[in-house]
Amino acid sequence: MQETPEEKPPVFSSWSVWYWLVAGVLAALIVFFYFFTKNYS
Amino acid sequence: MSFLDWIVLSCTLIFIILYGVWKSRGQKDLDSYFLGNRSMPWYIILLSIIGTQASAITFLSAPGQAYTDGMRFVQYYFGLPLAMIVICIFFVPIFHRLKVITAYEYLEQRFDLKTRTLTSFLFLLQRALSTGISIYAPSIILSSLLGWNIYYTNLFMGGLLIIYTMYGGTKAVSYTQSLQLAIIFIGMFLAGWVVVHLLPEDIGFSEALHVSGKMGKLNVIVTDFDWNDRYNIWSGVIGGFFLALSYFGTDQSQVGRYLTAKTLTESRMGLLMNGLVKVPMQFLIMLIGALVFVFYLYFRAPINFNQGLLNKVHNSAYAPEMQVLEQRYDSLSLQKAGYVKAMAAAMKSEDQNAVESTKLALKDAETASDTVRAHAGRLIQKVDPAAETNDTNYIFLHFVVDNLPKGMVGLLIAIIFLASWGSIAAALNSLASTTMVDIYQRMIRPNGTDAENLRASKIWTLIWGIFSIAVAQFASGLGSLIEAVNILGSLFYGTILGIFVTAFSMKFVKGSAIFWGALIAEGLVIFIYLNDYVSFLWLNPIGCGLVMIFAGLCQLLMNIRGGKPGLKGA
Repeated sequence: MQETPEEKPPVFSSWSVWYWLVAGVLAALIVFFYFFTKNYS
Repeated sequence: MSFLDWIVLSCTLIFIILYGVWKSRGQKDLDSYFLGNRSMPWYIILLSIIGTQASAITFLSAPGQAYTDGMRFVQYYFGLPLAMIVICIFFVPIFHRLKVITAYEYLEQRFDLKTRTLTSFLFLLQRALSTGISIYAPSIILSSLLGWNIYYTNLFMGGLLIIYTMYGGTKAVSYTQSLQLAIIFIGMFLAGWVVVHLLPEDIGFSEALHVSGKMGKLNVIVTDFDWNDRYNIWSGVIGGFFLALSYFGTDQSQVGRYLTAKTLTESRMGLLMNGLVKVPMQFLIMLIGALVFVFYLYFRAPINFNQGLLNKVHNSAYAPEMQVLEQRYDSLSLQKAGYVKAMAAAMKSEDQNAVESTKLALKDAETASDTVRAHAGRLIQKVDPAAETNDTNYIFLHFVVDNLPKGMVGLLIAIIFLASWGSIAAALNSLASTTMVDIYQRMIRPNGTDAENLRASKIWTLIWGIFSIAVAQFASGLGSLIEAVNILGSLFYGTILGIFVTAFSMKFVKGSAIFWGALIAEGLVIFIYLNDYVSFLWLNPIGCGLVMIFAGLCQLLMNIRGGKPGLKGA
């Protein structure tokens, strides 16, 4: 294993952007599921 | 199954085994056997993580659960993406920096040997029991399809697995999981496509969703809060977060997957991608179950989806009684088909009054059907008192076997095998690695050569495989298998997570305090579960919190008894 303490993430400039992306997608999914449930119930 | 199905099934399984064996050549030591020389790219990590979590249970039980209880089980996964973020920030960098083989090695460096051993023991206990259930899940397929005795089927399934896992090591596990998942996704997509196309011509995808939703099966989000409700958004986000944090952050079957990555970045990317795809994936799998429900509103469903049990009743003195129930059930099925057609027509003409009236009539007929099904269940238990009448795990299987074209049935059955093999292989691998690294090599034989260690690792894989098969023999009375596995995990995960969280965040707590704190917390978690105070997902945050509280208190007491000034003395 290569020891690279400050490895840069792919695509984005920092890992924080990746973390926000994952949290944002989850929030969007929950909103989508909420309206999905309301629409079809 | 047709001859073509058997050919497809056999060829797929043989191909996977040979592929795994071919990919796992050249193992020399523990690092290559358990971590594949830390050489995996992120996409293999991702597929391996998903393949480890998504067992046959996921593909069998989840659609069945949507059929019976609706889609609210999806909420159980809402905490997972958040857990992936926390693990990437706190857990993975430490594991990579210390170059550990198991997560529990870290605990000896942070606390002491007894804490490492206790945590390893808790992991081994729950993982070995869960693996037994995971062996049982595909065995019921063979048992149901071929009429084989479930005990011999467990032996056959587990036996094949042990040979494959013993030889393969982690590299074989990871590479076969990738291939397995590719086949699984293709198969599930085809199953979803087929169920929509098998519906009557006047019912499209949208109408099927509306019917399913009107019958309460598309209840993805439940906002009502209830401590004893298993699946609502609160227990999903909070309880699911702690369960996922513990499972992915401290369960060796998952930690062992992302420690095979060649860099820290590859580990993180695999975990974050899992956070992105897992919830939509589970949603789609359960949507298939909700659509299968609509399918069986139009077409006759059996009174119990476990055909083997039904046959038993038909061959007993209770056969006439069952026939009466089946006639009543079939009559209600015809009524439901009529109502659902009327409802679909009302929806097309946008007649809301007609939609509501047919919905009520349909729900009444569904309730009456459920009552008849419950009667049938009691009749089954009269014939076989040990029988499990909950048929959740058989619903999707019954649909596949009865309705998919020749060849595809074999493929779907192969998929269930592959999914199962992927997760069980990873579990056996993690059981062996924890036993080898944290117990055998640490306390029994610390100076073994590479060849001796490799041989011992294979023997431990064999031992745990045999133990898991033994557990599988007792799994038949556990109801929905996916819930049984999650409940079992929740009993121990909270405590294990609490130990790790304390290690990261409470620097003043030392070895003895965390050891006793964890023991007290585990006892309380089991007490809470046995008394049914809360739904099982809550056991994860409760267990974690209890460990932190009792470890802190124990440390405080120890400091006072040792004459040290409060927390500062630790």
